[in-house]
Amino acid sequence: MATERRAEVTWSGDLMSGSGRVDSVSSGAIEPLEVSWPARSAEPDGKTSPEELIAAAHATCLSMALSHGLAQDGHAPERLDTSATVTFQPGEGITKIALAVEGRVPGMDDDAFRRAAETAKENCPVSKALAGVPEMTLDARLAS
Amino acid sequence: MPRVQRSADVNWSGNVARGTGHITAVSGAFTDLPYTLASRVEAPDGKTSPEELLAGAHAACYAMSLAGELAGAGATPERVDVRSTVTLDEVDGSHRIVGAELHARARVEGMDAEAFTRLAHAADEGCPFSALIKASGTVTLNAEIEGGSGGD
Repeated sequence: MATERRAEVTWSGDLMSGSGRVDSVSSGAIEPLEVSWPARSAEPDGKTSPEELIAAAHATCLSMALSHGLAQDGHAPERLDTSATVTFQPGEGITKIALAVEGRVPGMDDDAFRRAAETAKENCPVSKALAGVPEMTLDARLAS
Repeated sequence: MPRVQRSADVNWSGNVARGTGHITAVSGAFTDLPYTLASRVEAPDGKTSPEELLAGAHAACYAMSLAGELAGAGATPERVDVRSTVTLDEVDGSHRIVGAELHARARVEGMDAEAFTRLAHAADEGCPFSALIKASGTVTLNAEIEGGSGGD
């Protein structure tokens, strides 16, 4: 079954001095978020950006795919802490996504966890959609 | 221009069917947004999902790209409204993001509809997210101008 998710943005003015707002998303989960070019290309100053939203989407997707893979192997995780860092080169595009995940998984060794994380990175729908990003890295480890 | 990094953190507890995650933007723009498998593939029930966040990224990326194209052509927009709809579907037994649909409406004085359509397509080409998603799915664009000349 296909699932659709929608977001709406309003922008006023030119790129450099104008500003925008992510007004509404289909779930209603996100309050209006301000965006601007200076906040995107220099200091965020409390504002989100397309690259930060992509980072959030990717970390979210990896966590789900990994929890699914681990549970299928009989090692449902107690907890996964995941981060994604998206590098944006203005004029060029998104050049790198660095993923990191730390898991608390009873009865699993580091190697098996790293393999499961690598599989999740390869297969999660957001990774596949962003396969054109030149560099995608993963640092996976078990919590000590 | 220097490169820019943006990060987000997610924590997840439990298996995929019954677990819950929380999403935080490092900029501080949003904190601890909850999500679950059900909110992703069934009714959202007030929770976000990776695909919704991508829709937000895409709409924000395209809106900026269009504002840049219009301003570059000497026609600063009064207002641009953009909607992106991202579709997740099952393809050969696994979930795939199959495409994104953009709807844009811009209020720009004195621009003809043809010139606007050209810039709207250039904005799609220039938006990094559109470029990426086209490698594995489709991006459709529907752009309209208000207040232009020679159009309605």
